[in-house]
Amino acid sequence: MSAQPLSTGALILRRLVQLPFIVLAVYTLTFILAWSVPGNPLENPEGRRPPAEIVAAMKKQYKLDDPVAFYFEYLEKASGIGYLRGKTDRVFDLGPSLKQPDWSVNEILSTGLPVSITLGLSAMVIALMLGLFAGLIGGLRPGSIADLATQLVAVIGISLPSFVIGSALLMLFAVKLGLFPVGGWGGLAYIALPALTLSLPFAAYISRLIRFGMIEEMGADYIRTARAKGLTRARVALHHALKNAFLPVLSYLGPATAVALTGSFVVEKVFAVPGVGQHFVDGVLGKDITLVMGVVLVYSTLMVVFNLVVDVMYRFVDPRIA
Amino acid sequence: MRLLIPVIALVLALAAAVSIDRPLPPADFVLIDRSDVYTLDPQRMSYQHELRRARVLYEPLVNLRAADCAIIPGVAERWDVSPDGLTYTFHLRGDAKWSNGDPVTSEDFRYSWRRAILPDSAADYSGLFFAIKGAKKFFEARSAMLKEFTAQHAENPSAADAEALWKRTVDLFDSTVGLHAPDARTLVVTLDAPLVYFLDLCAFPCFSPVHPATVEAFVSLDPATGRATQRHDWTKPGRIVVNGAYMPTVWRYKRDMRLEQNPHYWNKDAVVAKTIECRTVENPNTGVLSFQSGAADWLTDIGPEYKTEMLAERRAYLERFKADLNAGLARGERVDDIVATLPPPGDGERRDARGFDAFGTDFFSFNCRETLPGDRVNPFNDPRVRRAFALAVDKQALIDRVTRLKERVASTLVPPGVLEGYPVVEGLGYDPDRARAELKAAGWEDRNGDGVIENADGVKFPTVDILYSTASPRFQNLALAMRDMWKRELRVAAECRGKDSKLYKEDLKKGNFMIARGGWYGDYGDPTTWLDLQQSQNGNNDRGYSNPEYDRRLAEASSEIDPALRLQKLAELERWLFTEEVPLLPICNYVTVYMYDPVEVGGMTDHPRLEQDLSILGPRRATAQAPKPSQEPSK
Repeated sequence: MSAQPLSTGALILRRLVQLPFIVLAVYTLTFILAWSVPGNPLENPEGRRPPAEIVAAMKKQYKLDDPVAFYFEYLEKASGIGYLRGKTDRVFDLGPSLKQPDWSVNEILSTGLPVSITLGLSAMVIALMLGLFAGLIGGLRPGSIADLATQLVAVIGISLPSFVIGSALLMLFAVKLGLFPVGGWGGLAYIALPALTLSLPFAAYISRLIRFGMIEEMGADYIRTARAKGLTRARVALHHALKNAFLPVLSYLGPATAVALTGSFVVEKVFAVPGVGQHFVDGVLGKDITLVMGVVLVYSTLMVVFNLVVDVMYRFVDPRIA
Repeated sequence: MRLLIPVIALVLALAAAVSIDRPLPPADFVLIDRSDVYTLDPQRMSYQHELRRARVLYEPLVNLRAADCAIIPGVAERWDVSPDGLTYTFHLRGDAKWSNGDPVTSEDFRYSWRRAILPDSAADYSGLFFAIKGAKKFFEARSAMLKEFTAQHAENPSAADAEALWKRTVDLFDSTVGLHAPDARTLVVTLDAPLVYFLDLCAFPCFSPVHPATVEAFVSLDPATGRATQRHDWTKPGRIVVNGAYMPTVWRYKRDMRLEQNPHYWNKDAVVAKTIECRTVENPNTGVLSFQSGAADWLTDIGPEYKTEMLAERRAYLERFKADLNAGLARGERVDDIVATLPPPGDGERRDARGFDAFGTDFFSFNCRETLPGDRVNPFNDPRVRRAFALAVDKQALIDRVTRLKERVASTLVPPGVLEGYPVVEGLGYDPDRARAELKAAGWEDRNGDGVIENADGVKFPTVDILYSTASPRFQNLALAMRDMWKRELRVAAECRGKDSKLYKEDLKKGNFMIARGGWYGDYGDPTTWLDLQQSQNGNNDRGYSNPEYDRRLAEASSEIDPALRLQKLAELERWLFTEEVPLLPICNYVTVYMYDPVEVGGMTDHPRLEQDLSILGPRRATAQAPKPSQEPSK
C-alpha cells in the first residue's frame, strides 16, 4: 500500500485488476465446500432410479466423477476463455443446472437476477427513506418521546427475523386488509411487502447511523458558527450536519446492497418471489454444483463492482478523500 | 446537491429493474403447485405434477378419461388387438397435428419410444417399454456396446466410430424391436407376452410422442463414450413443439408457466380454459394464503400443518347437509356437483378443501437382507420377526393420533377399490399377542425375566434402527409412535434415526437400516405397478427382499392371459406376501388434499388415480355448458 492517495482512475484500475483474483479465491473456496456436501445431484430424492451404468455415464458427462477436471473445465467456460477457444457458444457459460437439466444456469440467473435486483434495490430505497426519517427525528431531539419510539422500532427491526416480520405483514396487509397480493411477482403491488420486510433491518441500522451522526455533528463547532451567522436550525441540520452524518451511511450502502441482494432468500420464500436467493439455497441443498458455482461467481463479481461504485461515489460526495 | 446523486442513482436503477418485468394478462384458470416441473420432456418425467402437465401438452396414442380412467382414443382413432394379445395395430387419426402444423405420424411414435428405451436417455421409465418385443434385449445390447466403446475410446475419441456405432444401433432397433410403421398412419406394436394393461401404459405420458426434428437438433454423439447426449433446452417456449391441447408460451424458472390453447389440436373445441397459468409457490403457508386471497382456482397441495383442520372443517360442513349429500349420491351424482348446489359454509366450516384417497400407500420397509452392513446380525431376515413387528403396530391409533387425516388403514400395498376386478386383499392386522408368539417362535423371548428379550444364546435383541427422512414431520412422528408401540408390545429397544433426504436415500441404498420409511404411488392401472417392487432385481426394492418363489409366482401370474384369472393369481400372491413374508409394513393409503371451490371450479375427478385433466378444468359454468364430446371407452 502506498501512502500516496490514489486518483479515482487508478482506484478503478486497481480494483479491476484485483477482481479476477478475488473471484477466483471465492470460486475455489465454494468449490471445495460444494464438493464436500454428500449426495448425488443426478438423483431425485423421491424419484425412480436409473440403472447404475447410466448414472455413471451421466456423471462422466457432467464431469462429476473427476473434481479436478470439473474445476478447470467449469472455470474455463465460465470465465469466457472457453468461448474464445470455441468450446461453447455462450460467452460466459455457467453450465446446465444438474438438478433442473432443462435450464442452464445462465437462464436461471437471467430470470432470477432481475427479480432479486429489483427486490434488493427497492429494499434499499425504502431503507434509506425510513432510516433517514427516523434518524433525523431522533438525532435532532435526542431523548424525546419520538426518539425513544423510533429507537424502539429500530431495535425490533434489527432483532426480529424476517420470516416473522414477513408473515406478520402478509397476514395484516395482504390477508386481512387485502391491500396487496399474497405472494408472487409481477408489478409494483407485488414488490411492496417483500421489499418492506427486507428493508427493515437496513432501515434500522441506517437510522441509528444517522441519529448518532446528527447528534455528533449538531454539537460541532462549524454548526455553532453557522447558527451564529443566523441560519435557521432546519437549514443547518439539513444542509450542513446531514451531509456529514450521511457519509457513514454511504459507505454502509455498498455492502448493505450486496447483502440485500444475496441475503433475501428467506423473504423470497415467504413471499414466493422467484429470485436467485431461493434458487441458490435450493442449489446448495440439492448439491446442484453448477448452479451454486454460477451464482457464487456472479454474486462475488457483483459484490466487488458494488463496492467499487460506492467507493467512487464516496469520493465524489466527500472531496476530502480524493 | 452532491448527496442526492447516490440516492437518484439507486432510484433510477430500481426503475430500470422494475420496467423489465411486465405482468401477463390474467389466465382463465390458475393453479398453484408446490414445486416447478423439472422438465417438459415426456420421456424423462417422473413426478405427478409433471405428468399432469404432460397430459395436456402431449397426446399419446390413447388417453385416460379423467372421470373413470377408461381408455379413450387419442392420436389413434382406433386400434386392433390380435387374438393372441401380442400384436396391437394402432390407426392414427388424419387430423392429429403438431403445434407447428406438421402431421403426427407413426414414425414420430417410433422415434419417441426408441429414445425412451435407449439407455443413453436415462429415462426413469424405460422399464415400462420392456413389454415390447426385443426392447429389453435392445436396451442391454446398446448398454454393452456403449461400455465397450468407452473402454476403447476413452483415451482416443472418434466421432466417426461413434457415428458408426449409432448406425448399428438404429439398424438393431429396426430389425429386432417389435415396433413398426408400415405407413404414416399405422403403428404396429408386438409384445413379448400378452399384457392386459398395455393400453393403460400407452396412455402414460412417457409413451407420448415428441417432435423428432425439434429434439434431434439438440442431440450429439459423444466421441469418447459413443453415447447420444441430449441437451435439454429444446423444452423452452419458442422452441418446443407439442401435439396436445395446450402449448407452453411462458416458462419462468420456479415462478410460473403459461399454457395456451394449441390451435392445431384436433379436439380443441373440447378444451375449457383457453389459457392456464401454473404458478410455483414453495412455501406451503404462502400457497394457502394465496389461494384464500383468490389468486388461484386450484391449490394442488396443502402443507401438513393445515390439512387436519381444513378437512375437519369440510367434514363439519358436509355433516350439516348429510341428507342432501346422501340423496344426491344415491341418485348417482358426483360429490362436487352436489356440494355446488348447497348453501355456503358457515363459521368453522368450509367447502374449498377436499381430501381424496389416493393411489398411493405409506409404509415402512423391513430390511430383509441376510446381514446389515459391517456383517452385523439382521433379525429382520426372519419373516417371523417381520410378522411380529407388523402385528404389534396399532395402525388405527397411528391414524387417529399421529397422521390425523382419517386415512384408510392398509395391510397390503395395492389400494382397494381402484383397480376394477382386483379383490380387496387383507394382510396382517393388529394382534399384539400373536406378535409376541411370532417373536417367541423366532427364538426371541425374555428368558431371564429382566424385561428384555434374548435368543437361546442369551444374546439380547439388537436395538432396532428406524431410519426416516426429515423431509416431513409426518415421517418422524410415525417413527416415534411405532418405536413406542414396539417397546411396549415386544419389549425391544428401538431408536429413531432422522436423516436429511439425501443421506436417508444413501442409507436406504446401502441397506443401512433395520426399518425405514417408504411410500409408493401406482404408475399405471395394474397391481404389478405395486407387486413388481418386491421382485429381487427391481431397482426400487429398497428392502433387499429376494425370494425366488415370489419372483416365479409373480412372473407366472403377470403373464396369465385370462384377465380375471390373472388378477385372482396376483391377489393370491399379494395375500401370501402380506400374511407370510411381510417385507414391508403398510400403514395407510395416502390422502391427497386439494383446495378448490366446487362452486367455481368444475371438471375435477375423484377417481382415486387422480388423473386430473387440465383441459377440462375451469369455471363450473363453462364446464357445464361445454361438456367434452362423448367418446365411448373402447373395450
